[in-house]
Amino acid sequence: MSDWMRRVLDGKRETRKRLAELPFSEKLILLEKLRDRSLLIASTSLRRRQLHRG
Amino acid sequence: MKATLAVINQMQADGVIGRYAIGGAVGATFYLEPSATVDIDVFVSFKHGQGSSLLTLAPIYEYLTARDCQAKGEYIIVEGWQVQFLPPGDALGEEALAQAIETHVDAVPTWVMTAEHLVALALQLGRPKDFTRILQFIEAGVLDSNKLDQILTRYGLLARWERFGDRFLRKL
Repeated sequence: MSDWMRRVLDGKRETRKRLAELPFSEKLILLEKLRDRSLLIASTSLRRRQLHRG
Repeated sequence: MKATLAVINQMQADGVIGRYAIGGAVGATFYLEPSATVDIDVFVSFKHGQGSSLLTLAPIYEYLTARDCQAKGEYIIVEGWQVQFLPPGDALGEEALAQAIETHVDAVPTWVMTAEHLVALALQLGRPKDFTRILQFIEAGVLDSNKLDQILTRYGLLARWERFGDRFLRKL
């Protein structure tokens, strides 16, 4: 693995750790935002076409 | 979410359900970074003496629909969140419910399954997303290995855990 890739992965790990350490209440607010984005993506016509193709 | 939990707490105070515990992705979020989910899995017990030994979720649906919550397939929409109420399916689920830990969302009390029970239940379910979650728990370093070992042993999941390790944790 290259140094560059190692730094990228370390950065991702740090971000996940920082998010995991947030208070539960704050994490639930983020969860709501993620849910809203997921539902929005699922409702787009592009996504629906993809699902029809299987 | 806080408003959803407040409604569930009121339902508990009104005697419709007994103890409850959040599991699934929302439960995992207590320990891990948030990951996208569209529903809340709420495991519930029923108070004794409700007149029937048949386990039914009908009282929950009746209580909530009378309070403007809308049923949608296996979910019920409570304050904007799709909630799935689940009776514990077996002894592991019963224990996970009994040993859930109390926390607060702002000032609203709620109960979340322990990390070890969430992992054991995910292992038992065995879908790809459950395996992903188990790996997240391992990477986050939040598991008490002795406690997890005891649970896996108690519920006959050790062989499955070893297969999981062979498949996902062995170095290439």
